[in-house]
Amino acid sequence: MADTPEAIQKAKKLYLLIGMALFVFTVVTVAVATVPWLDFGEHGFDSKDAVIGLLIASCKASLVAFIFMHLNHERKTVYFVILLSAVMGIVLVFLTGWAFTDPIEYGDTVEGDGFYNPVEKTVPE
Amino acid sequence: MDIPYTVTARKDTGLFNSKVGIWLFLASEVMLFGGLFSGYVFLRIYADYPWPERALPIVPGLINTFVLIGSSVTVVFAWAALKMREWRKFQIYMGITIACAGLFMILKGIEYKAKLEHQAVRMDDFAMIEGHAHYAVVDDDGNLAHSDTKLKAKKLGASGAKPFKANAILFEPETIDFSVARAHGPWVEALLEQAGKRKSKLVTTENLFLYGNIEDYAGTEEDPLSTKGREKAESELVAKYAKAEEKIGHEFGESSLYIPSGTELSYNLLKKAREVYVSGRTHNAIVRTAILKENWKRVKAKMPDDKYWIQAPEAKIDAATQLDEQFDAQGKCVAGSKVVSVVSTLSFAMDPPQPIVINRGWVKRPVKAKEGKAELRDDTSFNAGDGEGSAPGLLESPLILAVDAIDLRWMAQKAEEAGKDPAEVIEKSWLFSEENKHHKKYQRIWDNHKERIAVLEENLLKDYGRDKEGNPKRVPTETDRYRITWQDLVHYARANQNEERPLKAGEDGYDDLRPKFWNGFAGPNHKDEEIHKLHAFPELEIPHQKVSLQSMFTPKWNTYYAVYFTITGLHGLHVIGGAIVLGYYLFFSKGLYRRNPEWLANRVEIGGLFWHFVDLVWIFLFPILYLM
Repeated sequence: MADTPEAIQKAKKLYLLIGMALFVFTVVTVAVATVPWLDFGEHGFDSKDAVIGLLIASCKASLVAFIFMHLNHERKTVYFVILLSAVMGIVLVFLTGWAFTDPIEYGDTVEGDGFYNPVEKTVPE
Repeated sequence: MDIPYTVTARKDTGLFNSKVGIWLFLASEVMLFGGLFSGYVFLRIYADYPWPERALPIVPGLINTFVLIGSSVTVVFAWAALKMREWRKFQIYMGITIACAGLFMILKGIEYKAKLEHQAVRMDDFAMIEGHAHYAVVDDDGNLAHSDTKLKAKKLGASGAKPFKANAILFEPETIDFSVARAHGPWVEALLEQAGKRKSKLVTTENLFLYGNIEDYAGTEEDPLSTKGREKAESELVAKYAKAEEKIGHEFGESSLYIPSGTELSYNLLKKAREVYVSGRTHNAIVRTAILKENWKRVKAKMPDDKYWIQAPEAKIDAATQLDEQFDAQGKCVAGSKVVSVVSTLSFAMDPPQPIVINRGWVKRPVKAKEGKAELRDDTSFNAGDGEGSAPGLLESPLILAVDAIDLRWMAQKAEEAGKDPAEVIEKSWLFSEENKHHKKYQRIWDNHKERIAVLEENLLKDYGRDKEGNPKRVPTETDRYRITWQDLVHYARANQNEERPLKAGEDGYDDLRPKFWNGFAGPNHKDEEIHKLHAFPELEIPHQKVSLQSMFTPKWNTYYAVYFTITGLHGLHVIGGAIVLGYYLFFSKGLYRRNPEWLANRVEIGGLFWHFVDLVWIFLFPILYLM
């Protein structure tokens, strides 16, 4: 942690630099999404563009977390809390995914109302 | 008592306490937003309809990103200034941070406003039309006239007629039924105002007695609500009711309501009827509970050895069960006697029938002419007359728009699912058929669009070539092919400016006519002079029966906007909350700075950590919601 006046003066320069980097990264994200010759994968938006967009966002987020939020030199307690939240975050992502392994089979949609009809579907066998 | 470890670090954690606190809080926030993001990802991946892709104008989001990043830099500078004991500099940096928060919310507000004014329609053939609704007005003959501005519409209407958004339904009812329990005040008032303007009255057509907990006549032939009861002379019934109320210590009218024939509708009348209704329901609930209790006692006595689930079917609420009357200390009947019938609907006749404008957002489900009925979400029901010469019910009420986007992706998807050629299905659809008054304009747009996509296909082939199997490496996307955006509409209108020799796709200078992403700050600008002159956003009249869903760009329109408003709304609340905390440090912490500057520095660091987190969430929100 920058605590002495000299260290803080030095850190301020770094903050400014990181701020600039974040601005540049933002421009790059928009460029990747809008300029045709920077379009990766297929023409138009596709999974590759999504991955690249999120990678740039992750870089930006890391810069904010490590420099602005001082995670580059923090105490063990803080790292533990963050690790915990990261694990729980990942669990949450897959928690939604588990809904798709739901063994209950739904009937056909009822024409017109757009809702699933939870009447059991009989499978001809 | 002094709070420990506000300035110095605890030995075991190596941190001052509030830092542990904020990190635990941020950890919970990560999970909150993580859950929402994951919800978004799964909703999008498994959507079985075309997802709105890059649906928001980029510029406000881009500026907001810059604003938040800038404020993240200034908040960390404010902290550094405190560490250096430079109060003045701290004030300046913190001031800028809070100003940035304000700017962010203003831009967000502009964006939200544009969404709430933007009309979307899904037609029964899955064509999706976006645009701004015209203003309509009822003219002297009771027909609809419309124009693109409120002022122009007002001039077309009958004197005193109020222009309304042309996404409403025009209905001429013979009678209107109100749900006593659910009638919504503002809607009733709006209806009365309209009826008043068109010199029509809403009146009851028969003598009605509503009663709450007066049970003497309930269920008997003398019940004023039974057919026989209604035939009784009015004065006789009033006398009987007065007597019944006297018995329970009420003045006449305290727990009953007498509405003579010809009473005019007012919301106060409905409110009074609601009180009586509620008191009747309360009485019934008490009686039913008492009856059920009594029945259980009897059943248990009859079947002492059986389990309750075997006894249960025997223990019915039987309204005919006579119980001894029970009175509470005030002499009020709490149990006994019978269940009373309660009046839940009041019917009023419209005299004479006049067209009523019903906001499309108020109706429960699409109104069909043949049903002769329009049901509102508060259970109010507008009914057409059934005889000849009576009120016709639904009048012609097209949805009139200045169209700024045509989305045929869903229609194309449905066509492909059915094994048909999407282009063929699209060209045969209502939008391009002669049934559409303006079909020529739309055919022209579609032809322009097809030309441009053909040139795009050609160019992609030329630039990227074919893969090993001989297929083009890059092809226009479904969105390119089947979604005509507002930029496309302006582009084609500009190219067609010279009617004799319109500019063709692929010609020199054609691509330069296309608006860039920084044009149209918060979306298509209908007030733009050039767009007006070119008629770039053409008019469309969608017949009422063709509309299967209409909405503003709100959560109702699709899942994307539901997610958009949820996450950005929650993020916005974080911005406001953060700004309040940082504002407190700026405006109310001079004293603390004098006493213990290090403590204030620590506080600002904590507030700053939260502020960085708010920035961090936006760093992900911007590409996900604006660029993908």
